[in-house]
Parts: sequence; C-alpha cells; structure tokens
Amino acid sequence: MLDFLLIFRVLVFPGFTFILFFTLFCDWVERKIEARMQNRVGPAVAGPAGILQPLADFIKLLTKEEIIPRDAKKNIFRIAPIIAFSVMVFAICFLPIDGSSAISMSGFTGDLIFIMALVTVANFFLFMSGWASSNPYGGIGAARVLTQFLGYDIPLFLLALTPAFLAGSLTISAIAASQYLPFILLAPWGFVLFIIALQAELEKDPFDIPHAESEVVGGLETEYCGGKLAFLHLTRDVQIVLGAALVVELFLGGPYGPVFFGLPAFWYSLWFVLKVLAVVIVTEYVTCLFARLRIDQVLTANWRMLLPLSVLSLALTVAMATYVYPMVV
Amino acid sequence: MQARLSDKVQIQPAYLGKATIHVDAGLNRDVVRILLENDGNVGISAITGLDMGEKIGVMYHMRTDGLIVTVRTEVPKENPQIASITDLIPGANFHEREVADLFGIVFQGHPNPARLVLPDDWPANLYPLRKDAKLEEVTANVENCASCSAQHEPVQLQPQSEGKLVNIVVGPQHPALLEPEKFQIKVDGETVNDVEPRIGYVHRGVEKASEQRTYLQDVYLVERICGICNSCHAACFVETVEKIMSVEVPARAKYIRTIILELNRLHSHLLLLGHAGLEIGYETLFQYMWRDREPIMDLTEMLTGNRVISSAMTVGGVRRDLSETDVPKIKTRLEALMKKMDFYQKLYDSEPSFRMRTRKVGVLSKEDALRLCVVGPVARASGVNMDVRKDDPYEAYGEIPFKVITRTEGDTFARLQVRLDEITESINIIDYAVDHLPSGPYRIKVPRVVTAGEAVNRVEAPRGELFYYVKSNGTAYPERVKVRTPTFANIPAFIKTAIGGSIADVPANFVSLDPCFSCTDR
Repeated sequence: MLDFLLIFRVLVFPGFTFILFFTLFCDWVERKIEARMQNRVGPAVAGPAGILQPLADFIKLLTKEEIIPRDAKKNIFRIAPIIAFSVMVFAICFLPIDGSSAISMSGFTGDLIFIMALVTVANFFLFMSGWASSNPYGGIGAARVLTQFLGYDIPLFLLALTPAFLAGSLTISAIAASQYLPFILLAPWGFVLFIIALQAELEKDPFDIPHAESEVVGGLETEYCGGKLAFLHLTRDVQIVLGAALVVELFLGGPYGPVFFGLPAFWYSLWFVLKVLAVVIVTEYVTCLFARLRIDQVLTANWRMLLPLSVLSLALTVAMATYVYPMVV
Repeated sequence: MQARLSDKVQIQPAYLGKATIHVDAGLNRDVVRILLENDGNVGISAITGLDMGEKIGVMYHMRTDGLIVTVRTEVPKENPQIASITDLIPGANFHEREVADLFGIVFQGHPNPARLVLPDDWPANLYPLRKDAKLEEVTANVENCASCSAQHEPVQLQPQSEGKLVNIVVGPQHPALLEPEKFQIKVDGETVNDVEPRIGYVHRGVEKASEQRTYLQDVYLVERICGICNSCHAACFVETVEKIMSVEVPARAKYIRTIILELNRLHSHLLLLGHAGLEIGYETLFQYMWRDREPIMDLTEMLTGNRVISSAMTVGGVRRDLSETDVPKIKTRLEALMKKMDFYQKLYDSEPSFRMRTRKVGVLSKEDALRLCVVGPVARASGVNMDVRKDDPYEAYGEIPFKVITRTEGDTFARLQVRLDEITESINIIDYAVDHLPSGPYRIKVPRVVTAGEAVNRVEAPRGELFYYVKSNGTAYPERVKVRTPTFANIPAFIKTAIGGSIADVPANFVSLDPCFSCTDR
C-alpha cells in the first residue's frame, strides 16, 4: 500500500508527470511574457492563448529525424541530454511541493547540499552533451557552460547558506517550514543576490554567454536534432523550474501559505505553483531588460563582485540573526 | 601643380561635373602626393578602370573639400602596369585590388596583390570587365569554377594553428553570417591579430550587366545592388545620367526624391540599430527597433507603391507624385517615431549592459579614419566631418537646414549613437521637405538615348558616400557604369578596428559598420 503511494507520488503527483507539465506551462508563461515585453504576440495558435505550444513543440521535435554526426562520441551524445534531464527532475523530487517532497516525506539532513550537488552534476552532463558532438561551436558552447557554472556555483551555494543559517538547518523542508516570516523579508540582500546568481546559473540575459548565437551559433545544441534536442530544451526548462523552486523554498516560504478549506496539500501545491511562477516572471523580466555581457565581463562580474558580495551577505545575515532579530522577533 | 609637373599634366576644371587632371602613366603617384600635401583631408573615393580599346584608362577619384578631383591616366593593354598608391593612401588598397581583378592592371608596389573579388582558380588572362572578354567565356567560367561549386574544399571548421596564432575561418558559409563572405581571422588567444577578408561570393556582375541594358533598365538593376539602400543607388544613377544629359529635374521631383531618400535612411538606420541589438544579445531592443521601423516601411509603400525596393526614381524625376492627402499621414507617423527616439536615447544613455558591450570597443581614430578613407557614419563617429549632403549638396539638400552629426570617440557606441541622432535629423528633413514641397511637375520627359559624355556623382547613402561613374557613348546603352558602395570603402575600417580587440567583440564591432555583402560585392 505504501509502495503504491510512493509510486504515485514519484510518477504522477507531485513527481514526474506534474513536473513535466508544470515545466511546459512555465515555458509558455516565459515565452508569453518575453513576447509581451518585446511587443510581440508570442505563442497564440495551439490551445487557448497558445498554452499548448510548448507541448506541441516537444512532440514535433520527438517526431523529427535523429541525426548523429559521424565524429560524435555516439553513446555520450545519445544519453547525456537524457541524464541531464533526469537528474534535474530527480532534484525537484526532493523539494517539498504539496507540503512534502515526492520521494521522501520530510527529506533528510543535508539534502540542500545534495540538491546543489545534483545541479552541478546535471550541468556537467550538459557540458558532456556539447563536448560529445565534436563540433567546434558545440564544444565552445559546452566549455562556456562549464566556465560560467564554475564561476557561479560558489556564490550560489554561499547564498543558499543564508536561509540555511536563518533556519538553523541544512534540510530543505525544515528551511521551508521554519519561514513564518519568509526569509526574503529577513535577508532581502541574500534574495537579490540569489536572483542574480540564478540568472547566470540559468544562462539567461545578461549572462546567456553559452547561447550567444552571434558567436557560438547554437552553443552546445548545435549538432542536436529530433528527440535529443527536445530533451535538451526540456532540460533547460526544467532547470528554470528547479532554480525558481529553489528560490521559493529558500526565500519565499516554500509551499506553505494560508489554507482556507479542504486538503492542505491542494493549497500548498497552489501556493508553490504561484510562487514559482512569480519567480519565473521576475527572471524573465530581467532577461528582457539587458544585453548579453561578454564572457570576460561575466567572469569579472562573478569573481570581483558576486563572490565578495555573497560572502558579505552571509556575514551580514549571521550578524543580523545573532544580534538584531532575536530582539525584534 | 601645373608648375611642378610642367606640361605632362592637363587640368580640366569643371569637367566630369567636377575637376579632372590628365596625367601620364608614370605621374599618378606624384599628382596624388601633391593633392595630399595640399589638403590632409583628401581621401580616395574610387578607382575606375575603363576599357578604351588599345588602352585601359585608370581614374583615381579623389575627394577634397566637397569636390571630386579625377586623376586620369592611361596604360597600354598589352602591358598594363601602373605604380600603386596604396603606400600614399592606405584606403586605396582594396580599390586597387578590385581593379586588378576585373581589368588586369598590375599595381606595382602593392603590399598584397592577391585576388579579392574573383575566385582563386579563375583563368589568369580573363578580365571580366574588359570589353574583349567574351560573355560566354565569363559565364562558362563562373559555371565551371571549381571553387564556386558546393563540392569544393570542405568548410574548415577546426581552427588551424600557425605557431602561436590560431586561424579562424569565418565563412563563406557560416551560421553567424547572414550573407556569404569569407574572413580569415588570426587569433592569439582571445586577441585578434589579423583579418584577411575575401569578398566576391555574391558578385553578380552588376557593372558588366548594366552595359548590356538600357539606361532605363539600369535604374531597376542598380536598385537591386542593395535591398536596403535601393533608393540611393537609383537616385545616384539617375542623377549621373541627368548630369551627362544636362537635364535639370523639376524642383518638386527633387523634394520628393529627398523625402524618399530620407525614408530610406530611416529604415536602414532602424534596421541596423535593431540588428546591433541582436548581435549583442539584446533581443528586446531588436524587437522594439524593428517594430518602429514598420511605419517607415508603410510610408515608403504609400509613397512609392513598394515596401522595400521602392522603384521611385526615374531619369527626369520620380515616377509617382506625392498627393496632398499623404502629408498628414507622413507627419503623424514621423511624430510618433520622434517620441520613440527619446526613449532610445535614454536607453543609450543609461543601459549598463548595452554600454559595457559597445563603449571603447573597436576604436577608430580620426587619423585612421582619414587614412583608410572610410565613409559615412563610421567616419563621422571618428570625428571626420563629412556628409555628401552638406559637402556636395544634391537634390533638395542645399535648401534644407540640417546638422551633420559627428562624435569624437570612434568606438562602436559612437557609431551607433551617430545613427540614432541621424534618425532625428532625417525626421526633421522630411518634415521640412513636406512643408516646403514646391508645386509643379514631378517629372519631365527625357529621350531614351543619352548624349555621349561622362559624369561622376555621389549620394550620401545610409552607410556613407555612394559613388557612381557613368560613361555614355551616345546610344541607349551605357559604355561603363562604375559603382563604389560605402560598405566596400569601409572594409579597411573593420580590419583596423578588429585587430588588437577581443574575438568576442568582433560581432558587435562588425555590425556597427553596417555590413552588407551584396552591395560590397555588387
């Protein structure tokens, strides 16, 4: 009986199926917002207001011919996008969505670190997929993913420690549950910096170096087509959901919010979805506002600005939590 | 000059519309040197080759103080040798290489006499623009040319290294290039060490083709040299023909032409500024700019019947009148665009990521701009005050007040900013022109057969000075049509500004020169 529930939770809700469709939905929101900000219509044909467009694109790509370049490292080329996608989804399964996460009810000690590590692994597989295509643009794009990721991993992790410190726990569900006051109010500096680092992590403007089409054409996706390209696109979208979900869990009080009637799980899921959408809208808004920086400017911004600032942010949080908040709260 | 070079020089003032100096073959360098000594701002507009039967004429069209001084000399066809002037004016480099390719003239002392326009395996003694080159032979060669076929030399994707330098070949087919052209970029780490351009991949032989068409057909042919600045080509060509025939077009036609030319400039500048946004990853800017370009396209369609290739110019005037009811429509559209320009100016002044990508990138100093004879917004962004509309007014520009925008920084940002300011000026010009539109006929009938003669003419196209030379032999077909497009004159600027910069800056830098390969090649 318990096994059946677990399978349902992992495969249907709040696990794989939910994440998949939520990702496609977020993709639609993103495209729609970007289009509206740029004075375009955006997806409008498939479904009401084009809501089915991401799904249609996904299915269309799946039906396309699969071409593997002669020089590509074939096995890695084939499986790397799928592994990257799976790892991302796996990471989301540890986030409390309807009050508890898909895999284990209350997480385990230190699963914050585990999830951050999964993100690193997934990015590494994205790098592998570009590198295995044996195309200079794919290679450069992949190397850029890694360069950028190495730069932003450390600040991102330091910033993730800010809420962990406030909550006194490295368990995500504990961090989310301890936010009677969302940490965005207690440590707004940490939130702002986290969004900036996330923007780089998600390879969005002004940090979308790996996708600079005027320099590296399609980046790591250059040689991909068909189903594998579909999975690469999906990986990118899941990555955005994962990033946004992390912000929600760490700074916006997780899935918790007022429960009006009926099942708390329903309300928690609703709050989660709404909060993630809010974060997605913010990141998309930032994307539309900026031009792409040059790779050296990105790395300088990271090492000279973001890293010291995130250390400062952590120090400030520690000071505030030790001396100021106990008197106020 | 007559004194220094005694009787070997004949000066004919006010010929070819401007001034012409006839010199013996050996003296072209001396004349150019004297011109340079007299005025440091002398630049070379074009070098025209001309098949004269036994001899080949070489004309150096030098621009000085709003005048075109043509230094004219002849070399025998059997032994076409002439001294290169590239060491005196570095800007003559590509002009000489082009003439060498198409007329077979050997420029002695040229630093790099390699092929520029023709394919590498083109036969040695076939010079397409000479009159004795058989058309069938030229076409057969184009069709059989191995390096023009798809099977030739697989595209070199892997960078080849040459000692410390890495050779990156961009093109002729490259996903980041919208048109085919080849650039061999030598890179030391991330720094660009040298750029070797190879053009001609979209050479359509317009100059040769125009010799086989009537003047009227040529108007529509030259329009197709460049889709973006099409009206400028047509206007420049018909003005040249009108000069040969000494036709004075009606004042109303001049104003309507001015309006169409300025609409052309507006649409070209907006297109480029949007495209620049795309190159630096600023998609929102791109979408905004191209949205605001739409009303301009609509206006062009309203006035000429076509959105892009306007086909409005004809010898003797314009093909359509501007109706009274169009005026308020023009005014409201332009007023709306003017309001948008404030927004873009604010963006240019304050958007940090945009400024980081464009400021101090690809700096071209004033001295280099003069030495390399660059034209248009590129030259003006480097502090060179040159604008054919002011220096050598044509159409109605002499009667319309406007400012020539110059900046001193010479970087990518300045080149884009100059264009942004020019949009405002263009709007004012159109505004003034529709307010002061003279009444009267909008075209006059001119004979199809053009009197024998020759003329040079310049027009300030959106990308800079556009130069035409037309020689008529008294028939309905021109003897020679020479086109020097502003993009061709600006290639040296790209090489100069790319060298020493980062490879990641190349796209932003390149786009700020407003490249257009189809008009570079013709």
